[in-house]
Amino acid sequence: MAAAINCLFIINKSGGLIFYKDCGSAGRMDTNDSLRLASLWHSMHAISQQLSPVNGCSGIQLLQADTFDLHCFQSLTGTKFFVVSEPGAQHMEPLLKVIYELYTDYVLKNPFYEMEMPIRCELFDINLSQAIQRDRVALLGR
Amino acid sequence: MIGAGRTKQYANVLDKPLSKGRQEVSLSAFSFLFSEIVQYNQTQVDNIAELERRLEDAGYAVGARVLELLCHREKGNRRETRLLGILSFVHSTVWKVLFGKVADSLEKGTEHEDEYMISENELLVNRFISVPKDMGAFNCGAFVAGIVKGVLDGAGFPAVVTAHFVPMEQQQRPRTTILIKFAEEVLRREAKLG
Amino acid sequence: MQNAELFTLTYGAIVRQLLTDLEDVDEVNKQLDQMGYNIGIRLIDEFLAKSNVSRCVNFKETAEVIAKVGFKMFLGITATVTNWDVDGSSCSLVLEDNPLVDFVELPDMCQGLYYCNVLSGVIRGALEMVSMKTEVTWVRDMLRGDDAYELRLKLLKQVPEEYPYKDDE
Repeated sequence: MAAAINCLFIINKSGGLIFYKDCGSAGRMDTNDSLRLASLWHSMHAISQQLSPVNGCSGIQLLQADTFDLHCFQSLTGTKFFVVSEPGAQHMEPLLKVIYELYTDYVLKNPFYEMEMPIRCELFDINLSQAIQRDRVALLGR
Repeated sequence: MIGAGRTKQYANVLDKPLSKGRQEVSLSAFSFLFSEIVQYNQTQVDNIAELERRLEDAGYAVGARVLELLCHREKGNRRETRLLGILSFVHSTVWKVLFGKVADSLEKGTEHEDEYMISENELLVNRFISVPKDMGAFNCGAFVAGIVKGVLDGAGFPAVVTAHFVPMEQQQRPRTTILIKFAEEVLRREAKLG
Repeated sequence: MQNAELFTLTYGAIVRQLLTDLEDVDEVNKQLDQMGYNIGIRLIDEFLAKSNVSRCVNFKETAEVIAKVGFKMFLGITATVTNWDVDGSSCSLVLEDNPLVDFVELPDMCQGLYYCNVLSGVIRGALEMVSMKTEVTWVRDMLRGDDAYELRLKLLKQVPEEYPYKDDE
């Protein structure tokens, strides 16, 4: 079954990887690779804001390659959520927004979660899987 | 509540009419506040048992006041004198006011005469909380156990009240059971009342 | 939205706990502000996620958004923004209602207590996460005998964003 999302990264405002989820079978990354990639993306995202000819650029939102698309959402607090998806995958923005809301519910309201640290919240995992599954089902239905 | 009925330059708080209980805040506001209580108390303790106790104590203060408030507002100052009456009051009235619904179930313990259980598939206070594995069976519902204890003590039904996670077959997540163990004197009195 | 009573009573329990633990009213004020700050730095993301506000153009807009959208979303009340200073960096937020203070009266020995100090911390923490350093203080407090709840909100500075590749490691 084709997965619209291949993987999800969440990085904190300093560029540290706080969450990585692999949804597909191809291109699985080990921990060091994912950490490095997150840090690189953080820098690239910041550079993209500087490249803008006008002020107030909010950075890369979509990166298109031949075998994948990368959709990125940055909250005003600097936390970045980005997914690697199939090329041309639709409706990634609403999904990222849903993931942001799940983060505000099941991560930020968890007293055992320390800010900026890796996310280890069972409820976040459960709800995230459900959201991705719902999106997958909806995709097949379109 | 922090209050003593002394007259000040503003209206005496005891003269102000009791709120009808219609004001609303978001669940998020409560959840953030509750999360902060847990975090604060974690800094004040050395172990999980102490954390549980502190949460229970905080809940106790809430329970005692809820009882006063509800007795005045909903029951016209009548007092429950029977065990099932007070349990039903907690399970229905108290739960509805605090959590917006009656509790999922109220059961009598099968093993002990003095035990009753109020269970909730998902306690409101636990809605967004994932307890780390290394904290074992710790349940933030200790706060709610404290509330129940505060209500029961205030109503004249002293009990030991604790919160427990109970795994359920059909559910991914365990439910929370508030276990109430009444003091001897309560059962004796109940037996006398027939 | 749900019944405020659990919230109000729980907040009261916190204040009591702090008074027992810390005993000194000034320390309690500080701790309430700190707890508010801890809440604010987390609450801001939910606010942004659910309110759909975009980046505020200036501080005036920020204050209006806090008063009309923020307070409403979390506490079910609205506040009014008044008393702007000349350069638009400082204003007052006046609360008509305050769900924190139902059933509350300050006894004599707690007269220095800013019972609602958690609110000033929340606003300060939330704004700091969106790059604004502010000072938030109570100007009027009904529990202390005033006729309203008024917060003074002052923008100290906008912290510019940092570019990682410019830092020297």
